[in-house]
Amino acid sequence: MILGGVDVGAATTKTVILQDDKILGFAVINTGSDVIKATNKATHQALDGAGVKLEELDYVVSTGYGRESVTFRNKTVTEIICHAAGVSWMMSGARTVIDIGGQDSKVIGIDEDGRVNNFIMNDKCAAGTGRFLEVMARVLEIDLDEMGPLSLQAKKPCSVSSTCTVFAESEMISLRAKGEKREDLISGIHKAMAHRVAIMGQSVGFKKQIALTGGVAHNIGIKKALEEEIKMEIITPDQPQIMGALGAALLARTEAQRKA
Amino acid sequence: MAEYYDKLLGLCSFSTKEIDSLKPRLEKAFEKLGLNRQDFSRAEERVATQHDLELVGVRKILRAWLLDLLDLVLSREEGKKVVYYGYPSIQGPGMTIKAASNINLYIGCPDVVLCHTLGQIFDKITPLLEAAEKSGLPPGHGLCSLQQVRNGALALGIIPVPDLVTGSSYFCDMGSKADELLHEIYGHPAIYVDGIMDSAWGEYPQWLPERLKFLGAQIDKLYATVNDVLGIKVTQQSSEKAMQISRRFFKALGRLTKLMMADPMPVSGVESGMALNLAAASTGVSMTDGAEAIETLCDEVQARVDKSQGILEKGAPRVLNFIQPFSDPSITHMMEKAGLALSSSLVTVPPPKRDPSIQINTLGEDRAEAALRDVYHSGYGLAKRFEDAARLVNIDGVLWGYLFNCRPLAQYSHLVKQWVEKNAGIPTLSLEMDIYDSRSYGPEALKTRVEAFAEMLRARKAAM
Repeated sequence: MILGGVDVGAATTKTVILQDDKILGFAVINTGSDVIKATNKATHQALDGAGVKLEELDYVVSTGYGRESVTFRNKTVTEIICHAAGVSWMMSGARTVIDIGGQDSKVIGIDEDGRVNNFIMNDKCAAGTGRFLEVMARVLEIDLDEMGPLSLQAKKPCSVSSTCTVFAESEMISLRAKGEKREDLISGIHKAMAHRVAIMGQSVGFKKQIALTGGVAHNIGIKKALEEEIKMEIITPDQPQIMGALGAALLARTEAQRKA
Repeated sequence: MAEYYDKLLGLCSFSTKEIDSLKPRLEKAFEKLGLNRQDFSRAEERVATQHDLELVGVRKILRAWLLDLLDLVLSREEGKKVVYYGYPSIQGPGMTIKAASNINLYIGCPDVVLCHTLGQIFDKITPLLEAAEKSGLPPGHGLCSLQQVRNGALALGIIPVPDLVTGSSYFCDMGSKADELLHEIYGHPAIYVDGIMDSAWGEYPQWLPERLKFLGAQIDKLYATVNDVLGIKVTQQSSEKAMQISRRFFKALGRLTKLMMADPMPVSGVESGMALNLAAASTGVSMTDGAEAIETLCDEVQARVDKSQGILEKGAPRVLNFIQPFSDPSITHMMEKAGLALSSSLVTVPPPKRDPSIQINTLGEDRAEAALRDVYHSGYGLAKRFEDAARLVNIDGVLWGYLFNCRPLAQYSHLVKQWVEKNAGIPTLSLEMDIYDSRSYGPEALKTRVEAFAEMLRARKAAM
């Protein structure tokens, strides 16, 4: 069977094509303003990489905020369930997933069978999400990709608000004007974000192994800040950004087998 | 001649004859409320799609709400004295005052009435919220939207300035602050019922005797003020009369609560919520027409249960739900569409029985003792009641919906989750929402969390 998983997030859309236990292809693209176009583009890119046609897919599960705009889906499943499934497949010992995406962050508890037993998501605010980092990168006039490595050079991390992205942006401009070093500011931003996520995750609890997923997982500075905050090791699986789409494809496999 | 409101009222179980006889009141009230043809047209569609109109009992419950809205809006013109009380804690004394009254009196909670009518039926609660935002309760300040509804309704002249307002400053302290603001603006007297909130963790369902004495004295003071301001004397007889009047209502409600536990769940939580909240909203038609409506609904729901008919599939995860949205039924429907049977609430599990050894000396202490056994006087008590409910009732999960701008509810948001999960082993979703103002918490915003919770519960059930 050939299965498809599509994760339509606010910032990026991801598709994974799976056959048996092998990822045949995947794609990650910016979602942009046309969600349906993005889902089609990501899927066709993944299909091209897999050497498979859309009509050959036996079952497709979609997830993410835009999950209902995947016109060729068979079923929708929330990204919380999908992330747990994807991470459990990649890391059988995982018991906690910290997923930090473009517009939300989640902490998910997983049992030994890979099932979600608890979860929490951020409420209302973009602080503690990829959007927070995007805004800060813009203020500091650096690329997002530079933030992680720069943060590791900090000697004296600044204290930055973690309550509100907009207020933190104003704070950042003010600190910069005072002459605070860029790496210290970035380190402060990372600590603020990690603190917010860690507090949120307390109600779920952090049990090892802890996996970090989502686009923000590429940021080594965030990973370090989170580890310092929760005082536990965090593992970033390969291709952390596609865990939701991978989980969706795995759930597609389960559904297809059930129906067969 | 057909009027623009006939169709909606017909859907809400008003007979043609009744509409004719009520016409002057209806038109006066609708004018005061600013309701026009478009509003009625929208309400017809809203009621038809959001409520289970196949059930006559549902239609009658909607009728009871609309009748209470008329009574509220026209109370001053119709020569009544007007008393408002706060939600959730003062309905009991309110009922007693109503029973004691020998004058033409409207006593109720206008905010709750308006949420269930202008909100649920007409989808027109936003103008009240916006009026409040301009009148001393601005947005972005973490203020209770229920208080905004009352403030806005007064600012727009939809409801009369009362002769007296009473609120508690235990549990919800914003209510009393908001009433203080309204007192400054409109000049009506306000009497607050205080309570001692600092109980020791683990104390419930016991409490220090001083707490009973204090709260009892506060309620006695309320009764004395009602006598001073309105000439209404509350006695033991009026207390008993209040119980008698409300007995029929609560008996019917108890029956409906049990029927909701059937599998498949026979009717939406929207309808059981509309029934339950009649008790919080008013002391007039809710107890008479409301009781009769719920009785009708119970008979119809029983028929569904007998045929194993329901609105969800059999075996859907059953959830103990703290509170239903008041103004926007689409949120409850979203939860049910996600596959959650919102089959029980704290009403499903009554509070502990009175300890007969406790000395009760006054009417106020009698009311206070009942209040202390409920959930508004102890954080531990609230968590414990949830734990007990989760154990005693056959449920798969708990849904603690809280308002971030409601200090008592938000404070318990993670406490209740952790307590119930640890002590009863039941998964709990702590869901930030706004049951009065869904502008920032519409169904789409909440959907991912609710659907994930439903998926989690289904997987857990399947694995057991």
